[in-house]
Amino acid sequence: MATTTLHPAAATTYRSSLYEWLTTTDHKKIGILYIVNSLLFFFVGGILALVVRAELAAPGLQFLTDESIYNQAFTMHASVMLFLFVIPILAGFGNYAVPLMIGAPDMAFPRINAMSFWMLPLAGIILMSGFVLGGAAAAGWTSYPPLTEDRVLGSTGPGQDLWITGVILIGTSSILGAINFLVTIFKMRAPGMTLFRMPIMAWTVLVTSVLVLMATPVITSALIMLFIDRNLGGHFFDPSTGGNAVLYQNVFWFYSHPAVYVMVLPAMGIISEVLPVFSRKPLFGYKAFVFATAGIGALGFSVWAHHMFTTGAVFLPFFSLMTFLIAVPTGVKMFNWIFTLVRGQLTFSTPLLFALGFLSMFLIGGINGAFSASVPVDYAIHDTYWVVAHLHYVLFGGSAFGVFAGLYYWFPKMTGRMLDETLGKIQFVLMFIGFNLTFFPMHALGLQGMPRRIADYASGAGWNDLNMAATIGGFIIGISMLPFLWNVLVSLRSGAVAGDDPWEGNTLEWATTSPPPPYNFDRLPDIRSERPVFDQRHGHGAGGHK
Amino acid sequence: MSSSPRKRSASDVILIAILVISMAALVVGALANGFWDVMFPPEAVTRQGREIRSLYDIVFWIAVVIFVVVEGLIVYSVIRYWRKPGQDELPVQTHGHNLLEIVWTVVPTLIVGYLFVISFQTLTSIDAVAKSPDIHIRAVAQQFRWTYDYLAEDGVTVLFTEEVATADLGGGMHVPVGANVQLQLTSPDVIHAFYVPKFLFKRDVVPGITNVFDFTIDPVEAGQTFGGQCAELCGTGHRVMLLDVVAMTPDDYEAWKAAKIEQANATPPPKPSDGPVSATLELTAKDIKYDVKSLEVVADQPFAIHFTNADPASVPHDVDLRTGDGTVVSDEATIDGGTDTTYTFAGLAAGTYTYICSVHPFPDMTGTLTVK
Amino acid sequence: MTADSHALVVSEEHSPVAGLAHDARGGISNPILGMLLFITSEVMFFAGLFGAYFSARAQHTPWPPEEFAHTLNPLSLILVATVILVLSSVTCQMAVNAIRRDDRAGFLRNMSVTVILGVVFLLMQAYDYLLLADEGLTLAAGSFGTTYYTLTGFHGAHVFGGVLMLGVILYRGMAGQFSSRHHDAVEAASLYWHFVDVVWIVLFSVLYLL
Repeated sequence: MATTTLHPAAATTYRSSLYEWLTTTDHKKIGILYIVNSLLFFFVGGILALVVRAELAAPGLQFLTDESIYNQAFTMHASVMLFLFVIPILAGFGNYAVPLMIGAPDMAFPRINAMSFWMLPLAGIILMSGFVLGGAAAAGWTSYPPLTEDRVLGSTGPGQDLWITGVILIGTSSILGAINFLVTIFKMRAPGMTLFRMPIMAWTVLVTSVLVLMATPVITSALIMLFIDRNLGGHFFDPSTGGNAVLYQNVFWFYSHPAVYVMVLPAMGIISEVLPVFSRKPLFGYKAFVFATAGIGALGFSVWAHHMFTTGAVFLPFFSLMTFLIAVPTGVKMFNWIFTLVRGQLTFSTPLLFALGFLSMFLIGGINGAFSASVPVDYAIHDTYWVVAHLHYVLFGGSAFGVFAGLYYWFPKMTGRMLDETLGKIQFVLMFIGFNLTFFPMHALGLQGMPRRIADYASGAGWNDLNMAATIGGFIIGISMLPFLWNVLVSLRSGAVAGDDPWEGNTLEWATTSPPPPYNFDRLPDIRSERPVFDQRHGHGAGGHK
Repeated sequence: MSSSPRKRSASDVILIAILVISMAALVVGALANGFWDVMFPPEAVTRQGREIRSLYDIVFWIAVVIFVVVEGLIVYSVIRYWRKPGQDELPVQTHGHNLLEIVWTVVPTLIVGYLFVISFQTLTSIDAVAKSPDIHIRAVAQQFRWTYDYLAEDGVTVLFTEEVATADLGGGMHVPVGANVQLQLTSPDVIHAFYVPKFLFKRDVVPGITNVFDFTIDPVEAGQTFGGQCAELCGTGHRVMLLDVVAMTPDDYEAWKAAKIEQANATPPPKPSDGPVSATLELTAKDIKYDVKSLEVVADQPFAIHFTNADPASVPHDVDLRTGDGTVVSDEATIDGGTDTTYTFAGLAAGTYTYICSVHPFPDMTGTLTVK
Repeated sequence: MTADSHALVVSEEHSPVAGLAHDARGGISNPILGMLLFITSEVMFFAGLFGAYFSARAQHTPWPPEEFAHTLNPLSLILVATVILVLSSVTCQMAVNAIRRDDRAGFLRNMSVTVILGVVFLLMQAYDYLLLADEGLTLAAGSFGTTYYTLTGFHGAHVFGGVLMLGVILYRGMAGQFSSRHHDAVEAASLYWHFVDVVWIVLFSVLYLL
């Protein structure tokens, strides 16, 4: 199959010494470090979620008699999942895959790349340290003032300041990573790899990096202003001294809305690689994909105030219209993915299952988001469990399923070993069922009036059964992680040897060894389309195409 | 894996079966247990709420159709295009189809355009705020309770204040049906949100801004009580910021309002400022909690409570007395943190009373006073 | 690397950004592109702060508030500081031009002056803060004080970072690490320094003149 193996095989990267892992500037190792660190925080965030769900299973305060602990639990659950799992793990996949996919030997700035990674475990420790230093942040991951300026009934303890510090550190790591990705993609593509022959994964990382570059500094400014208000006597956001509480929301969401596209676009990139490989057809509508991705990125900057419809302080028609419009490029992508499957030859493999899960679940997340775009409907469902359903369908059903698709797809390339398919499918089935059982009932809970961020609810409200169902589903998701962990541990040791190209891939990473040598490629195949390895295998123009 | 796929293994079949059967069971089970009903908001009780409900129904059915079509396409493709053993030749390598791209760009644009237009029309109607509403009320949201100031026609002068937010404690926002009620929303501390699920409506209460919205409760709802609660995280007592809207016939409302105005204007009973007291009870507030949850005193004798506010200076507390059903017996003045005072009370008839902080009634600043 | 066989050798005259450091394939070099992107992110950071400023300004009349009506006087020490910072951009560019034509002595000279001017600016800014505090304008003095000190303070922090960066450039220059063919770091650092200067001009105009 492959034409580029070295003889003898290069040392496998994952068997390097601890010192090598700690000091590496190799994008592949750094990518793996990002992924492992992010998965650790995924488990931390998951535990916090189970704490929340355990308390909400039945009415009455069962475990958390101190309500502030509940508030800390959901605040840190969201903060950890968003800032220490989703965003970094996708950056990790970008780190690993993009240089390989564009035929580059590494990222443009390898040492800055390493620094970007190491800021993350540090930031994670800072964020979590609140729990043992008198209270973690407890005002929601959105941290609205004046509540976050209220040190008595709101953000007591050092947690909020630690949170601000940690998030600014993570933001800085992100921005440096974005600069790295952009320079790498623009300047280090192999000959023949024009922009419109890059894999969609590279395109999504490109657009994501533009979003990170332009939006993340704005939340840095918001958090700095909040810090100044809290600690230096500032008057940005406190209305009682001339500040403006809604100003914070505007500055915060100006970042945090594009951030959700940062959290999903690379996952869309992953499944845009997985679906063609396991359908044995090219991605349907490559160019449309590129324009849709760019469109989502651009439109993503114009919708932020749809998080603020109920404040009475935003220009409603504009933001409602832009929010509706952003559904269009998203729909274009959905149809293009589906038509990749149509008339293909689908293989029942774990990466494909997770990609199909993404399609189904992200569809629901996109549809229920459209309800919120309608302002009157939003008046009913804002700040209720409907929104919790929406955000989890897109972030878990979407991004996290995409992450697992990527893990199963690229594990062989990263380690030289195959993950066990049966265990993978068991994880998928448990996760799919558990996920839907947890989050679909939340649509109903929101419609029936259950607000977000409450530690307890009245037993006569009619919400008991749905909450119990959601808790059971949550624990099923937790259980689904066990076959995954077992799979990784066993396969690292004794999984089937992968070879260069176990999946019959399309893109350049499959044209080198598994794992690749430090400089990635011994020789590159000719690059004349977006599927250079496919062309090499079948001859450019094989299979008849239009 | 360039050769034909092996025949589907037993474990694959079992797993597919588990997935399909479980999901089907969940869907059927849910629908059989009334899940369909809860996918719609509750029946609206206001004119504005009914308009929102109509809009929701349209959005909902369009969503269902889109879901069925697209999800159906996914499921169909997965079943129809499974690679079968023996299928070695590549399928046709279709790269795209321009007409299709145009179709599935234009059609969704038209759909969302339509949704935007009807949403905007509904929005204009429900957000309309009258220049001369029938009733002016101001809801004040604090950490962690609601109070309602009933205002005169100028929308400014306070006629009386309903201190108790919920009906089960004898309070609630009483309003007449059929009348246009204009609600102003203010808060002295943090952001809250006024939310009544049966109104299908909420509005944030932002310090520094006075949000205003109108609602008209349908006449058929007279006599009903609609529960709600704060819907914007406001601190550790967020979940207890409950509220009720009590719908009355216009006549009942006038009577209720007159009684309330009379009560507000009535001179309070004289306080036993001097004279011997049968006992002085000790009570301290710290971390928004009373240190003692039950007190006892002899009946029919004046008594005192020496109250220490051990919280920071910015956090006021007081000790009010209420009967078991919430009727206010004694409404005392608050004291700032770091100070203490002695409240004196007239003798009470034997029975069980509640002592409560009027600023932070829930969750922990309430206790039982047993009078024997 | 296989790229070599396909590399385009672009001479100085044909490069689209003649004079600016370039790589063998044409176009600006990686470090300079990286610095331009970094500057973009910093522009967005200041945009957030400016957004807060304009929001506060729109919300409060009069602006400045009466007690500070004449506190921010453009014709004062701050004008001198402004001139000095602009001058430092000039000397910085002169340093860049010098190293582009391999005039290492000229480069070192001009870069030293730039660093010194940068430090002088910072000292003047610090002294100006003291004067303003005497007149009652502090960080805690209402929205006016908070926005003023936050904007100018973060600008000052960026100047400080720039001075450090230029200091490193100066040090490396003295160690003979730059020539007309290899001076990407100098170009990048000077771009940052110009950015810091432009931000100050905008800040000065908005805070003092408008």
